[in-house]
Amino acid sequence: MKNVLAMVLAGGRGERLYPLTRDRAKPAVPFGAIYRIIDFTLSNCLNSDIRRIYALTQYKSISLERHIQLGWNILSAPLGEFVGVISAQQRINEQWYQGTADAIYQNIYTLQEERPDLVLILSGDHIYKMDYRKMIAFHLEGGADLTVAAIRMDRKYSREFGVIEVDRDWRIIGFEEKPATPKTIPGDPEGILASMGVYLFKTEILVKRLIEDARSDSTHDFGNDIIPTMIGKDRVFAFDFRQGDRGGRGYWRDVGTIDAYFDANMDLVSVTPQLNLYDPQWPILTYQPTYPPAKTVLAEEGRVGTAINSIISNGCIISGGSVKRSILSPKVMVHSYAEIEDSILLEAVDIGRYAKIRSTIIDKGVRIPEGLEIGYDLDQDGKRFTVTGSGIVVVPKWIKL
Amino acid sequence: MKKKILVVEDEEGLRFLYEEELKAEGYEVLIARNGREAIEQLEKGKPDLIILDIVMPVMNGMEALGRIVGKDRKIPIILNSSYPGYRQDFMSWAADAYLTKSIDLGELKDKVRELLEKGRAR
Repeated sequence: MKNVLAMVLAGGRGERLYPLTRDRAKPAVPFGAIYRIIDFTLSNCLNSDIRRIYALTQYKSISLERHIQLGWNILSAPLGEFVGVISAQQRINEQWYQGTADAIYQNIYTLQEERPDLVLILSGDHIYKMDYRKMIAFHLEGGADLTVAAIRMDRKYSREFGVIEVDRDWRIIGFEEKPATPKTIPGDPEGILASMGVYLFKTEILVKRLIEDARSDSTHDFGNDIIPTMIGKDRVFAFDFRQGDRGGRGYWRDVGTIDAYFDANMDLVSVTPQLNLYDPQWPILTYQPTYPPAKTVLAEEGRVGTAINSIISNGCIISGGSVKRSILSPKVMVHSYAEIEDSILLEAVDIGRYAKIRSTIIDKGVRIPEGLEIGYDLDQDGKRFTVTGSGIVVVPKWIKL
Repeated sequence: MKKKILVVEDEEGLRFLYEEELKAEGYEVLIARNGREAIEQLEKGKPDLIILDIVMPVMNGMEALGRIVGKDRKIPIILNSSYPGYRQDFMSWAADAYLTKSIDLGELKDKVRELLEKGRAR
């Protein structure tokens, strides 16, 4: 796969994930106790033998850049392999990226230097396991100029996605961003093909179309502008995600909202999660400092350190408190008589004695004082914290309680 | 109204040649000696078309091209270089034409006329 260059768009603001995105870009949001969202896309690349990867950052990028430098500096530079970070550097003109296509256009010098045959454009915002090699083979076999990965969705979600219309050979004949009345899949009137934001281009065609787009009035976006103008003049195909799905269950999540984020995390503590993190053939890599192993202590009457149906990371100590159906990132402390249920505690959260936490996401480093209850009186919680429509409370970083 | 052409060229002799010949064709001619001056002229002089050398001091033509397009997406640009090798640069594809330099300006004049007419149609 030496002729493929991956460009991961990692500038997503993730505004609907606020306050988790108050201090970090969406790809840097922690997920599944020890990962960041971007780890899934980067792991897909490595597991697919793609070893020339740039992540393009622009917005609140320090956390993300640090994570990539610490965790992903694992390839061999002498062999021409790398995971590099390119922060928006205004090399071509003096503006921030205007859209997804502009982000690539402004890095045209990188394409120039690397001169790959194919450019794989990915989003750092999504959680899924995909073998891009299958898509590349499909692209080459069909002589495609552009191939767009597509997943079947229920038609009622059409307003959230770019909806692809294909002919019998999966050639794309229509593309609409977030339509109210979508074109459905032939023979499947309840289904639509949604774009996954995964694009594979012949490099020269990509450059030509980016330049044409840069020189026209446009929103400079792949979905809005580039794909629609290419249909009809170039060979544009859709690739069925099921052909490359390494999880085998059609799992692909945008985790665009707090509720979706909460549900996707909670899936991981079910007996058989939809997203399998335990497949040795498809490891998900991340940056993890060395911490001591997790431990539970105390077993006195009414003061038992327990964790059930939960994920407990290294460095955690559950000391005489109880944890149920929850996800604990590294270095979380749960003190005596505290009760945690259906919650996500990010790194180094400290839960004081007798505190009761339910259906709550607590961001990094927050100290919950003795006896505080969160998730039991949502009106009260709403005065200090974000509370979603479905009743999930989010306690932001830096808050003093 | 006379059409304004911005000639960006560091070599004084060539600059003089272009200026004289284009004036004789009935154009108004603006001059810049490098990419940075070209960007100033773009904002001050509001040209209708740019003839852009590539190898120049201070800011070369390829870098200026990106910045010019960032400020005025639609202005016609002719890259004009003694070196054909820059055609391999992706950024050069952002120009409307790429001509290798010649002291016979026939080809350049034809291209200028063609692009200005296309511009009017737009």
